[in-house]
Amino acid sequence: MPENHRSAALARRDFMGALLGAAAALRMVRLVPLAAAFPGVSSRPVVSFHLDRPYLDRSGTALPYYPPPGARSAQIFSNLDEESVRRKHCYL
Amino acid sequence: MVDFSNEPTMKGFFAPTRFEADVYDCEVIGRVPTELNGAFVRLGGDWLYPPRFDDDSPFSMDGYINMFRFKNGIVDYKGRWVKTPRFKADLAAHKQLFGKYRNPFTDDPSVRALDRSVQNTTPLAFAGRLFTLKEDSLPYEIDCNTLETVGPYNFHGKYKSLTFTAHPKVDPVSGELICYGYEATGLESNDVFLYTINKQGEVTRELRFKVPYVSMVHDIGLTQKHVIIPVFGFVTSMERLKEGKVHWGWDSTKPAYVGIVPRDGEAKDIRWFKGPERATVHTLNARTEGEKVILEAPIYDSNPFPFFPPVDGSKWDPTKAKAYIRRNTFNLASKDDGFTEEKLFEMNVSDLGRVDDRYLTMPYRYAFTAYSDKQRPFDQWKAGNLGGRVNNCYGRFDLATGRMNSYFAGDTHSLQEVCFVPRKNGAEGEGYIIGMASNYAEMRSELVIADAQHLEEGDVVRVILPFRATAQVHGRWVDESDLPFA
Repeated sequence: MPENHRSAALARRDFMGALLGAAAALRMVRLVPLAAAFPGVSSRPVVSFHLDRPYLDRSGTALPYYPPPGARSAQIFSNLDEESVRRKHCYL
Repeated sequence: MVDFSNEPTMKGFFAPTRFEADVYDCEVIGRVPTELNGAFVRLGGDWLYPPRFDDDSPFSMDGYINMFRFKNGIVDYKGRWVKTPRFKADLAAHKQLFGKYRNPFTDDPSVRALDRSVQNTTPLAFAGRLFTLKEDSLPYEIDCNTLETVGPYNFHGKYKSLTFTAHPKVDPVSGELICYGYEATGLESNDVFLYTINKQGEVTRELRFKVPYVSMVHDIGLTQKHVIIPVFGFVTSMERLKEGKVHWGWDSTKPAYVGIVPRDGEAKDIRWFKGPERATVHTLNARTEGEKVILEAPIYDSNPFPFFPPVDGSKWDPTKAKAYIRRNTFNLASKDDGFTEEKLFEMNVSDLGRVDDRYLTMPYRYAFTAYSDKQRPFDQWKAGNLGGRVNNCYGRFDLATGRMNSYFAGDTHSLQEVCFVPRKNGAEGEGYIIGMASNYAEMRSELVIADAQHLEEGDVVRVILPFRATAQVHGRWVDESDLPFA
């Protein structure tokens, strides 16, 4: 095989290999959820902060914002029924 | 070991605070009116140790007294535990030794001889002394400058009831204290001892009588001629206590009785009127007009307290645990034992209402209390979601016109009991409303003060505490001249 033909064949083989590898990689990305591929990253949107402003990060990869202790301090009652609350706090 | 982690309702803003505090020259937003000289004294409860039983009542919380001292436009804050024998015994044992509300059978045997009262309901300034009140025991005297506990007080041995109400009334005309104790001779007794104490602190009259059934007599109405005694729904028995239950259960089959006795009358003079199921836990005011005795109060349809459950085993009904300002009229000329009831405002309100105390026992126009206005904004992002339970407004309810004026505390706040401070020599309702607001965004308590005649204008001043104050049951304004303040 002439040298130039051999080089072309090797280039085609490398190209096809790279193409198949890329396709396989893309297929993996489609099949494996992001959260499973990268433990610790949420697949759901999270509220985060950037430059002191809140924003919704749809990728779920940003650091979620949790209010500091004290803020939203009434939240503990949000899922309690009236009886549960008034059993302990009859005059809020 | 102190561990509150298993109690889901004692977290966030509602976690126990458990510390004593002094704040000198409190931060204020606005200007403190210099005419306010005296103290706003609050009494409530906090848990030193977790309750011994999960189903105990919050009325078992250890008493905690705190005071905003107003002097020449400066406000200092002081908070102290009420150091009862119970508090000291628990502290020495490093745990809760006392069982369920007013049930000594559930106590640790080591404390059965001790006074088990927690002194967490109402402060009282009378005859130059400051007291804490809890209806299961005698008053406790408190040093008005240090707020340290002096001890139980029995009015020079002349007050014989074992118990003392959390709602005595000071007659603004005579200066006398009208007070009483129910279950006066011990657990499950149907004895009530009613007293008149003159403004020097001397017992001048005692009347002993019995109620139709043993029940909570938390508050009374007082007119210039009569005492009105509501008895309703809550029942107890020695069997119940020995079974280890909390003191009260609710019996919806029990009628609401209202006793009316002349202030100078005898036990035989009491008229008992009978009405449908109701709960008159607190009253606003009362008066006698000819043969009619009129009581106005925020009255519940039924049991307001789920921790005193129905005795028939049914589920507590929150839809009936709503208080409405109502007028009950009793006709002493009638031979009928019924009475009339009118609902004066259609909106439900907090039952911790107040009037201008200078008009107690007499015709009056204004009532003040907190309520929840769902139309007002509530910032859940900053405050968290209270599930709509917030009392975000104080209302001035005009009983003459049916109108209501409103003070709004803010979109991250809820309000505790309101108190009215009259302006010296002012007309009825002229003065300030004062009360504690919980700021759920900043995790702190704020004392709000507003002009009672211009509530819509908001605060005159707001006193900021850099922490959560303990929850209040009742608060009272004490004028500079009423106690030997330093």
